[in-house]
Amino acid sequence: MENDLPRRREAAGLSQGELAEAVGVTRQTINAIERDRYDPSLELAFKLAAYFECHIEDIFEPGENNDST
Amino acid sequence: MLDTLTSGTNEPEQARRVYYRIVYAILGIAIIGLLAGLVTGHELLGTIIYCGGAWIGSGITFLAPKLTDVPLQDERDTELYNRASGLTLGVLFVLGLSVIPAIYVLEAAGRIDPPPEVTGAILLASGLFLLWGVAYGIVKRR
Repeated sequence: MENDLPRRREAAGLSQGELAEAVGVTRQTINAIERDRYDPSLELAFKLAAYFECHIEDIFEPGENNDST
Repeated sequence: MLDTLTSGTNEPEQARRVYYRIVYAILGIAIIGLLAGLVTGHELLGTIIYCGGAWIGSGITFLAPKLTDVPLQDERDTELYNRASGLTLGVLFVLGLSVIPAIYVLEAAGRIDPPPEVTGAILLASGLFLLWGVAYGIVKRR
């Protein structure tokens, strides 16, 4: 799954740690998502979408999944 | 406890780092204590150190996330643990399937006489897979 989380996060002026704290995960998890190394759970995807006030599909889109964390 | 230890920085990352250092240090001391006890002939003392470390480490692992708002572990950690556990079981399963029948056949044919350690290892692996099967059945029905 591909995502534009880095662009949205940087546009919001947030660090990975700040975004992680806002959605209740670790900075490493945000980093892994941004590098397409981890696909978040539906719950976390909803939290991220709610935080950026958009739909999940605005952030994530189906793509090549390297299936690694 | 973690909040107190990291109150100077108030950084979740710092709290997480402290948490992992404490847990790994305790478990490391437990394992080293056990091995040192075995090597020096103080098996009872080594076992006490190991059991104490294992219980304290497990207790902190269980209690710490409940005592702090800092996300010490999250869904990715859980997935990593699950994948590592699955990989470990897979390796054990492949090794067991390829080695255990051969040992039984060779033993039945009188070609080898497996030492008690091998028999114990086979029983341990069998018990582990049995436990996994029971756990899988329980989880599947929840």
